[in-house]
Amino acid sequence: MTEFIQATAFGLLIGGVYALFASGLTLIFGVMKVINIAHGALLILGAFLTFTLWDELGIDPLAAILITTPAMFAFGYLLYLTMIRPLRGAPLSSTVLLTFGLALVFEAAMGLIWGNESRSARPSYFDQSFDVAGIVLPKAQVYACAVAILVLSLLWIFLTRTWAGRAIRAASANTEGASLVGVNIAGVSALTFAVGVATVGAAGSMVSVLYPFLPGSHYIWIARVLSIIVLGGLGSLKGAVVGAALLGLAEVYTQTYISASWATAVPYLLIFIVLFVRPQGLMGTRLREDVAV
Amino acid sequence: MTERILEVLQRRNLWRLVIAAGAIALISYPLLSDDLYYQNMIIISLLFAIGATGLNVIMGYGGYISLGQSAFIGLGAYTVGIGATKVGGDPFVWVPVAGVAAALFAAFLGVIAMRTRGFSFVIITIAALFILQIVAINWDSLTNGTSGITLPLPRWDISIQNWPFYYTLVGLLGASLLLSWWIRRTKIGTGLLAIREDEDKAATIGIDTPVYKIIGFVASAVFLGMAGGVYGYYLSFIDPSGMFDIVISVQIILAVVLGGRGTLWGPVLGAAIIEPLNEVANQNFGGGNSRLLIFGGLLALTILLLPKGIIPSGRELLEGRTRRGRAALVGVRLGPRAALNETPAPVPAPSGRTLLEVDGLEKRFEGVHAVRACSFAVEEGTITGLIGPNGSGKTTVFNLVGGTMRADAGEVRFDDRRIDRLPPWRRAYAGLGRTFQITRIFPGMTVLENVVAPLRSFSWRQLRAGAVSGEETATASGLLEFVGMQEYGDQPAAELSFGQRKLVELAQVLMLDPKLILLDEPAGGINPTLIARIAEIVRELNDRGKTFLIVEHNMPLVLGLCDPVLVLARGSCISSGGPSEIQRDPRVLDAYLGEDFELEQPVGAP
Repeated sequence: MTEFIQATAFGLLIGGVYALFASGLTLIFGVMKVINIAHGALLILGAFLTFTLWDELGIDPLAAILITTPAMFAFGYLLYLTMIRPLRGAPLSSTVLLTFGLALVFEAAMGLIWGNESRSARPSYFDQSFDVAGIVLPKAQVYACAVAILVLSLLWIFLTRTWAGRAIRAASANTEGASLVGVNIAGVSALTFAVGVATVGAAGSMVSVLYPFLPGSHYIWIARVLSIIVLGGLGSLKGAVVGAALLGLAEVYTQTYISASWATAVPYLLIFIVLFVRPQGLMGTRLREDVAV
Repeated sequence: MTERILEVLQRRNLWRLVIAAGAIALISYPLLSDDLYYQNMIIISLLFAIGATGLNVIMGYGGYISLGQSAFIGLGAYTVGIGATKVGGDPFVWVPVAGVAAALFAAFLGVIAMRTRGFSFVIITIAALFILQIVAINWDSLTNGTSGITLPLPRWDISIQNWPFYYTLVGLLGASLLLSWWIRRTKIGTGLLAIREDEDKAATIGIDTPVYKIIGFVASAVFLGMAGGVYGYYLSFIDPSGMFDIVISVQIILAVVLGGRGTLWGPVLGAAIIEPLNEVANQNFGGGNSRLLIFGGLLALTILLLPKGIIPSGRELLEGRTRRGRAALVGVRLGPRAALNETPAPVPAPSGRTLLEVDGLEKRFEGVHAVRACSFAVEEGTITGLIGPNGSGKTTVFNLVGGTMRADAGEVRFDDRRIDRLPPWRRAYAGLGRTFQITRIFPGMTVLENVVAPLRSFSWRQLRAGAVSGEETATASGLLEFVGMQEYGDQPAAELSFGQRKLVELAQVLMLDPKLILLDEPAGGINPTLIARIAEIVRELNDRGKTFLIVEHNMPLVLGLCDPVLVLARGSCISSGGPSEIQRDPRVLDAYLGEDFELEQPVGAP
């Protein structure tokens, strides 16, 4: 029983970080119907930036979020203007292929800058844990999950309480309608993309403490985000949170009760199982496009 | 004119000459040169070309991207490796088995992913690649894990070098091209194109979309699986990271995109360009990161700068040159309408038999209750009108009857059968045809191709039939003449005006020979002459026994053409009857105008 509670706690803690990681992708999809395959590579980029800040300047990896988030915001804005914007109006397949190409370019660039060996940031609390009634809660995981929830809440407040956020939600619900009532779609798209990349940068800072990573790690992360959207549906923040928690639990249970080497297969297996059993997705939010007319 | 024809002929001959020369050079190369370095390069480019030619079927024709094609290379290689080492026999004996394994795996993935549209397929293909890699790593007893399988070196005479690998791959490339060419000119090909252009529309004209997509995906995998087996034997070492290599997936995709999606030779051209780059990346820049940088970057750049690929862009350039100054057909007057050259059907007056019956239909979109407790019937032989204020649910009812959407509750019976659980193509086979409010014809096809695309039934034999058979062409030309669009048969549908598209879409639906035709706003957004023509066509078809259900806002047209008229308001049918009855019904006035409206003259009066 303790083992089960322990595993559940681990699963939910990591699920919080997954939720932050997936929220950027689902936000971007909601507004511009782009599946950003480079999402995993951007996460690893955030992790490398954090690693360098920690390694060179001794900045705490979780505090580094204050630097990585704006930096990634700017990078996302630039990326949108140079790469994504020229493709607006192009079929979905074009952006899938474009971002797939970009993912490989980022992987290569990170390999050239930071090398291809495995890294991880190890702050002082790296191997300490809280002990709550016999349940071990590693400090890094608890802090990371708390920060992830904080960032997600800020994102939620931004989306619901500010004009810019409401414009994003309006554009997400009905792009044409939003443009008719005066929302500047081009501006909103750029903002959304930048915010999406900024959140994945923040998630990258947490990942730098929680997992060893190297440039090639982005594949497993893209698999995770895809399985989260298959589980939770695409385009809604709530779906991302639920899908992330489910994936976190599934991974940790597999690790605990089956074997660690098969835990890497969990995101892929979930994709197969969910699409096989319920092609329309678990949460009712569809993966498929339905007809409007 | 004759000069132009000559010019085209010469160009086509030149093209054939280039291909023949390439094929001869490819076949004779090992006989003329013993340079193993270039032989190796050609072997790898053959692998890319086979992969790209296959991928082109599902991605170029069908519009579905697979990011995991190297899964089939790995599966093929492991089939050969495990077969030859665990079971025995010459590795080449296992190559056909590798093809079967790849085809079965593709069919399995297709069954999972192809029931849905959109991204599921991309996601499944990535997942398939990585999960096979994980299985190859973890299933030690079968695959020898990360240490991989070492195959015995070939036992043939050293003087023939790598010829067996080389010529097997040449043969496989030939077979891939033949398959791709054959698919393109059969019903499978037109079906896949229709799916790429507009999948929902394709379903409403009788195309069983999952079957087409699964066939397309299996076709994209089978020869690549065999080539993967040959490739594994050629390297004589099979390991998870080398065989399930995502960079090879990218190279295959890049070959298709760069050469030209949907063309026969584009993928081969792309492969021939990519392999030398691969060699440069490996030899001069140490592989690894530079491979990623070159191919990832090239993929992104191609999508941004040359999205159509080399062959289509080149062709456009050439055609733009030869066609300069020659006006397109747009603006030509509509041709005179011809009578349908069928034996006139006996004229059934409204028989009293119910052809379509809708009972208690319900549809919600989140908060909006678009259709509620909607019930009505359409009698055989009538032209029934369906009117109602904007937002009353008319188009949703059409979507529910046609099968483009599924109802939450309620029944739809057509021709004494329940059809509300059937997919759209089965409803089309049953005799239901529909047009769309914003016309949806396939813009990338010619007008004639559009009209021959519909299928009246499904059979495996039919899939193998030529895309445009003589008989069908005759029927389609007859229908185009009937709507007055005979001049436009060879025009790209994208170049037509909105009104012309309506006529083509009508001809397309007639190809199904439906019993009931649903027209969604046939007079919306077109000029009065064309409205008159459409009314004339509807009357004439009705005389020949076709039943119509027409959604329309143009009241004079509805009141002049339709009897009875159904009135929809807030998702339910509130009234029905003859045009004059409807005009007097207070509920209808209320629904349209609100209860405080003072009527000055009767609705519909001139």
